[in-house]
Formats: sequence, structure tokens, C-alpha cells
Amino acid sequence: MKQGTLFLIAAVVVATALAALPAVASPFVQSMALTCLMFAGLAVSWSMFSGPTGYLSLASSAFFGLGAYCTAWGLAYLPWPVVVMAGGLAATLFAFLIGLVVLRLRGAYFAVITYGLGELVKHTITHVEKTYAGTVGRVMTDTPSSNVVYWTVLIIALLAVFTYVRFGRSRYGHALRGIGMDEERAATLGVNPMRVKLLGFCLSAWFAGALGAAIAVRWTYIDPNTVFNPFIVFQTVLISMVGGPLTIGGPLVGALVFSLLSEFLRLSLPYLYMILLGVLLIVSVLYLPNGLAGHDWRGTWQKFFKRKKADVQVTEQRHE
Amino acid sequence: MYPISRRMTLQAALAVAGVLALPGYAVAQEPTVKVAYTQSRSGPFAPGAQTTQEPNYLLWADQVNAAGGLNVQGKKRKIELIGVDDRSDMETIVRSYEKFMTTDKVDIVLPPWGTGANFAVAPVANKHGYPMVAPTALSQKLVDMKLPYYFVTLQQPKPMMNALVDMLAANGVKTVTVAYMDDLFGLENIGALEPALQAKGIKILDKKSYPLGVKDLSTMLKGMKTANPDAFVGITYPPDNFLITGQSKEIGFAPKIFYTAVGTAFPIYRERMGKASEGTMGMGSWNPKMSKAAKTYFDAHVALNKREPDRWASAHAWAALEIIQQTVEKVGLDRKAMRDHIAKTEFDTVLGKMKFNGTEEVGVPGMVGQWQNGEFEIVWPPARATAKAVVPKTWN
Amino acid sequence: MNLYLFIDLIVAGLVTGGIYAVVALGLNLQYGLMRIMNIAHGEFLMLGAYLTYTLVRYTGASPLWFILPMMVALFLLGLLLHRLIFRRLAATSPNAEVMEARSLIVGFGLMFIAQNAAQLTWGGGMSGQPYLDEAVKFGEVTVAANRLLVLGVAAAASLALVLLLKRTLLGKAVRGMLQAPLGAMLVGIDTRRLHPACFGLGLALAGLAGGLLSMVYELTPSMGEPYTISALIVITLGGLGNIPGAIAGAVLLGLVETFGTYYTSPSLKILISYSVLVLVLLLRPKGLFAK
Repeated sequence: MKQGTLFLIAAVVVATALAALPAVASPFVQSMALTCLMFAGLAVSWSMFSGPTGYLSLASSAFFGLGAYCTAWGLAYLPWPVVVMAGGLAATLFAFLIGLVVLRLRGAYFAVITYGLGELVKHTITHVEKTYAGTVGRVMTDTPSSNVVYWTVLIIALLAVFTYVRFGRSRYGHALRGIGMDEERAATLGVNPMRVKLLGFCLSAWFAGALGAAIAVRWTYIDPNTVFNPFIVFQTVLISMVGGPLTIGGPLVGALVFSLLSEFLRLSLPYLYMILLGVLLIVSVLYLPNGLAGHDWRGTWQKFFKRKKADVQVTEQRHE
Repeated sequence: MYPISRRMTLQAALAVAGVLALPGYAVAQEPTVKVAYTQSRSGPFAPGAQTTQEPNYLLWADQVNAAGGLNVQGKKRKIELIGVDDRSDMETIVRSYEKFMTTDKVDIVLPPWGTGANFAVAPVANKHGYPMVAPTALSQKLVDMKLPYYFVTLQQPKPMMNALVDMLAANGVKTVTVAYMDDLFGLENIGALEPALQAKGIKILDKKSYPLGVKDLSTMLKGMKTANPDAFVGITYPPDNFLITGQSKEIGFAPKIFYTAVGTAFPIYRERMGKASEGTMGMGSWNPKMSKAAKTYFDAHVALNKREPDRWASAHAWAALEIIQQTVEKVGLDRKAMRDHIAKTEFDTVLGKMKFNGTEEVGVPGMVGQWQNGEFEIVWPPARATAKAVVPKTWN
Repeated sequence: MNLYLFIDLIVAGLVTGGIYAVVALGLNLQYGLMRIMNIAHGEFLMLGAYLTYTLVRYTGASPLWFILPMMVALFLLGLLLHRLIFRRLAATSPNAEVMEARSLIVGFGLMFIAQNAAQLTWGGGMSGQPYLDEAVKFGEVTVAANRLLVLGVAAAASLALVLLLKRTLLGKAVRGMLQAPLGAMLVGIDTRRLHPACFGLGLALAGLAGGLLSMVYELTPSMGEPYTISALIVITLGGLGNIPGAIAGAVLLGLVETFGTYYTSPSLKILISYSVLVLVLLLRPKGLFAK
């Protein structure tokens, strides 16, 4: 209980600070924060389902893109909050329909089929738009201000964090972890694996869809290749795994570190940053197997500190 | 001649210059002019961006600085070029330009590559009052947004397709088959092409679309071969124009006129297709024979970048830079004044006189080019032609 | 439908399928044996393509001369990467699922490095050096010589690999590991030697595919990505770790794409191939050839 209160207080403080950001920060800091929040939201929502179950879902791009297209179709007719909600719901509906069948698969098969379904949606939308609307991309005029977009993304991300924590502690969260450890055993213990998995999958889809709906307006023009970009899900998975998907801190720290680091490297070493980023990724997987958040930093620090002390002694001796 | 290692040295040198050497300029008497842009060095936009756009930005900064700097109402100030990779990612593009315009408060921004990216940054530039002259954006919808600070130097679908159809009619074409890419570019051009063909009484025998990243179109082309049209029109991008040309040759689909849109004017098309490139027509608007200015630009581009510029958008990129340069010389770096100057002035560029009607450039007409003996000759309209169209196209 | 068109379509489908097979076989070895989800597989194809291209540009000789040395180079690169990264990864991963997930991130890292390095070395634009791009005619059937060559080499490589696995002692060991990794270790198969070798072989096969493709298509630093995806689809169709299944899956996918797009439109190619994948996985969740 005490820990819960502490978490709540910390969450409120951070949320207030983030909400006040547009008033004090430069637009660049704000858009940087927006990127962090977007990936934090995506990574938290991904970890919500894939963390406990170990099902490697690559469907986030499809959810994100569906949300974005809902905005493109609906922005001119519906109020902003409704558009964002609808984007999330479209993704949830899609997750429900495909979940009924794909959640029977496991491991790499599940990963490949969720990716494949994402591509399927992308090309279906391309085809439908071309045949019936005579266009492929869509231009959005009359978009909400960047502050509104920022606050919307912030709210979705906070909701995702809140849901992650609440869901993880609920009966369903325990059931999901049980499925991750041993699906057959969980079933014999009275869990209906399909129902629980479907619930987790649909829940996680809503956030990805809503984020897609909220972010899309920043680009003025969207086409299937931009919003169904597989790199959206690749980065999401990367962030969750590098951070460690099993605790709420993992995806959050992962999103913060990855976004800031890649932006810093991109701007300071424009020709070499991808190589550095790649090396850092590999090193982090090799030496931080439990993710940034799951790592025993104190142990590493002590080890490093001791070695450093020894180094100092060595250099001192040399000086003599 | 192998550009590989020298290119690498150049890029490495630029990287070092970008990171280390720039603060050195600050010692100079006049402050530098900060010019910022993003270009795709990685991702799907990279091949286009690295062929038609970024080499021109590098050449321009190099040339201007070698001549003592950018003339800002009589004062010479060195250009500090800030160019970052945008990974072909929309969010990164928007964020970077917001940074340039609000945090860095650079003096000038140059546009990113491609229609989609321009859609994303045009409203940002407009909001922050930065004039932007874009070479590689092609969409009527973008023009129709009527953003006062945004200008495009490339010919739009309508003039381009009208020029093509006029040329087809002049060569007695009665029937065509059409293949187009599944995206905004393909659809907008088809939208302009069909009524134009109808107006001239040219019949479309077969019309097929294909997606980005297609690897085999031989079956589509075999169907078109059976239809036996006078001309083939491909609304293509690279590298599918290579694929279509190569496979047409393989299966013996040899219409009198063979047109593939974007990428045909790339020098790599000529190198890659060899003899099969002879006689292929495509979107283009210049070549080094056209004028003395064009020749000078061509030679400078080859000298710095170690490869030829393409015969379409590269010159539009160069013209955009010339427009910026002339504007700054005249009115300085006040962005409102720059915008007004660009909107109402007729500029002398590598492509001749240029002038804007709203967003769209109206001085340079739609044109058709054709590879003839290793040069991309302009064959339509007659007023701009550097050679007569060779019909029928040779294949071997 | 007339016979010639039918043969035309079959040949076109086989050429596509042949390339898929070579790319997928390497990935399947790595995944089946070591649970390495090598998302950077296509990047090694890209490196193979650029290496071949560069050697051809410098010497002017036929690309066929360079395929074998280039494969050896990639094999050695594979040994090095295994030594530096995957050995440690396997040793510190508690189970196969963790190994899969962690190798995925390593794959992204390798992908970033390879693409960036290629872009610095060869530029972000397109390069290309066609080879044998004239047509070969068999009556009414016309195929480009280089595509035919691609088909021939791909078929030979696939066949060689199948024979290697079926007929040799080494192959028996590998098949043993594919079927029962732990059992193989118990009967004394030296995984510490075989794993690096198989990882290297996977890279060499990707390089082979790249070398072949450099004769047909233009090269860009990101050219490998779609092939990684195709390879993943193919091995899922055929069953993970199932080598003959992957070959059959590749040919099937190639034929379905060719016939499908002929009867509908090239625009629908991806729609068709993913529909096949989804259908197969729903009806046979462990791949077409699961026992």
C-alpha cells in the first residue's frame, strides 16, 4: 500500500510536470518530448500483452496505421476526442478479429503472422482507397494545434501506464503471466487462455491505435507507407526489450533513453550515428540481458568503482 | 574512374567539417548564415534524395563559400550548412524542422526530399514564416493548399502530361498502354493523362498499376505486347523504370514510343540500360547543351560530386538555390521580405526564367526528354527542344 | 490459356521462388539450429550484392568469378560475428524464447551497422551492373539469361544443401540438432563447432543470393529488407527448421505470386502472398509440411 501511494504521488508529479511542459519548453523540446511519449505509450502498450505472455507481437504498426487512417477519414467530420477514441477502437476491433485466430499460434509463427496481417491491412487500405476514393494518400487540413496533440499523446501515454499497472495486478494480469510461464498448466488451473489473451491483446491495441490517430495530424499528409511503416513496431519492440518489458519502468526508461540517444547521435554525428546506435544495441543486449530497468546497476557500479580505484592507484604509482 | 573511395573521403571530410570545423567560421568578421535541412541518407527516400537533392546543396554551399560567402545585401557571409539525416521518417522530419526554426533559429531552411516529406514540412515552414523553395514535390493537392511561404520549382502533373500527350499526337500515336505506380504520384499523373489523351483521341488499350518495390513485371508487359500499342507510357519511379525497360527488351515489347516518367533522366539509367536506353523518353527539363549556365552547373556538379546530375529535378534543386541566393542578395535575410520577393519576382535560373503563381512555378513549361547518343535531349516542346524526337525507339 | 504463356508464368514463378529459397535456407539454418531470429539476414544479402558489384566494377570480369570468394568472405564474417556476439548470447539465454527475442535486437543492431556502413562506402543512391541481360528464346517463351542463371544457381545451391544434409555425416549431425538440440548434444555432436559453421553458412547463402541479384537489380543499402521478410514468410510456410519445407514454400510462394498477379494486377501481389501465408498458418499452424 505504501509503495502504491508513493508511486501515485510520483506519477502525479511527473504528469503535472509533463503537462506544463508546453508553457515553459521550446517547441523542439516539446516535440522531442512528444516523440518520447509516443514511443513510451507504444512500448508500454506492447509490454502490456507481450511482456507477461512472451508472445512477440508485430501488429503495433497495423494498429497505429489504422488509428492514423481513422483520423484521416474522420477529422473533417468529428470532434478531436471522438476521432482519437475511434482510432483506438478501430485498432481494438481489428485486434479482436485477428486475435480470435492468430492467438492460437506461438513463437516465431505468431510474430510472422502478426507482421503479415499488418501488411495485409496496409495493402487492403491502399487498394480500397485507390478503387473507391481515387486516391492513395490523404491530406489533413484544419489540424489541432501542436499543444493539443501533445496533451492528447500525454493523456494516452499516462492511461497506458495506469492500465499497465492496474491490469498487471488484476486477476487477468496474473492469468496472462501464468500463460507466459506455461499455457497448458494455466488452462488446467481454470484459466481460459483464449479469453485472457484476447482481452490483453485488444487492450494493448487500443493505445497503439489512439496514438496513431493522435500523431497522424502532425504530418499533414499520410499514405499507407508512412503510417504502416514496419519501423514503428520494430522500434517499439526494441525499446521495450532494451528497457525490459516485465516492469513498467522498462518501456518508459527504454523510450526515454532510446529517443534521446538516437536524436543526440543523429544530430551530432550525422554520418555515423546508425553504426553507433547499432553497436550500442548489441552491447546492451549482451551485457544487460534483463533490460535497462531490470539490470543490477548497483552491482555494476560497485564493480566499476572498485576497478577505477585500482586504476587510480596504478596511475599514482606511475607518477612516483 | 571509380567514385567509391573518393566519395567516401568526401563524406568523411564533410562529417568532420560539420562537427569540428564550423565553429572556426565564427571567428570570421561577418557572422555565418545558418542554412539547415534534412535529407534522407538512409531509408526508402535515400536513393532519390542522394541523386537529385543533397549533392546540389553541398555543391551550392561549397561554391558560395569558395567565392567568399553568400551576398547578403552587399555583405559577404559564409554559409554554415547544417544537414542531418531524416531516416525517411516523417516524425523525424517534422521534429528536425521545428528545431531548425524555433530552437536553432537558423536563417534559411532548405526543403527535404519527396512529396510526402514536403507535405509534412510545408505547413510548419508556413507557420513559422520561413520561405521554402522546393525542388522535389509533385502534387496538385500540395499546390492547392495555397501556403504563402511555400514554393515548388518542379513542373506539376498537368503541364508534364499535357506536354507528353502533345508530343504523342505530333508523332501520330493513336493507341497507348499505360502502367502506373500505386501512389499519389501515379494517380495524379494518371488523372492528368487520361483526359489529355481523350482530348487528342488517343485510345488506352491497357492500363495496369503496380506497387512500390515490384520485382517482376514481365507478365504485365507480355499482356501489353499482345495489345500492340503505338506507345507505352509508364508513370514510374526508379528503380521500376529500369525493370520495365529491361523486361520490355527481354520479351520484345517494342512500341514506337517508350516513355518512363521519373528516373529516366538519371545518368544511372543510361549506364544501367546501355543500348536499351537509346530512344527512351521520360520526364526531364534540361541538359548541359541547353545553355552556358547549364553547362557550368553540370561541370561544377561533376567536379565536386564525381557524378553527373540527373536531367530533371537536380536542375530544379539548383534553380531553387539560385532563387534563394538572388533573393538574399536583394532583400537580405528578413523572411517576410524574402517571401514577398520570391512571390513576385521573375528569376534568372539555370532553367531559364522562373516565376511563381502562388505555390506553382509557371515559367518553365512541361517537357519531354529522350536519350539520344548518351545525352538526354529535350524533344518537346519545340521551343525548348535541343534535338528532334527519334521515333521509333531503337532497342539494340 | 495458351501453353507458352503457361510455361512463361511457371518459369517466372520459379525464378522468384529460387531466390526466395536461397535467402530462406540460410535463415532457416540459423533459426532452426540456434534460434537466432536474424532480422539482418537481408543485410548480408545486400553486402554480398555490393561486394560482387564492386569487384566487377574494378576488374570488369564476369560476376560469376567472384561469387565463391565473396561467399567465403561472408562465411568468415559469420564465424567472427558468432564468436563475438551469438556465442555469448546463447550462453547467457535461459531458454529458446529469450534467445529468439534477444537475437532479434542484435539483428536490428547489425542491420543499422550494415546499412550505414554500406551507405558510407557506396553512397545512398542506386548502383548497378547488369550481367547477361539479353533474352533467351525457347520458341515463344522468352526469359532473360540472367534470370535463368539465377534460377540455375539457386536450384543447384538448394539441391547441394539438401544433399549435404541428407548424405554426409556432418549433415546428419545438423539434422540431429534441428530435430532435437539437446539429444544431439547428448550423443556427442559438437555444437561448439557446428553452430558457428552453420551461422557462417547462412551468411554465405545470403551473400550468394545477393551476388545473383546484383546481376539483375539495382542496389541500394536498404535492398535487403524485403528479402528478410520474404524469407521469414517462406520458412514459416515450410515449417521452422524444415529445410526441404522451406524450398517447397519458396517455390509455392513464387508461383502463387506470379500466377496471382497475372490474373489480377501487380498491385495485388503482396495482398495475394500474405493471404496465402495467413491461410496456410490458420489451416496448418506449424507450416505446410508439419508432421
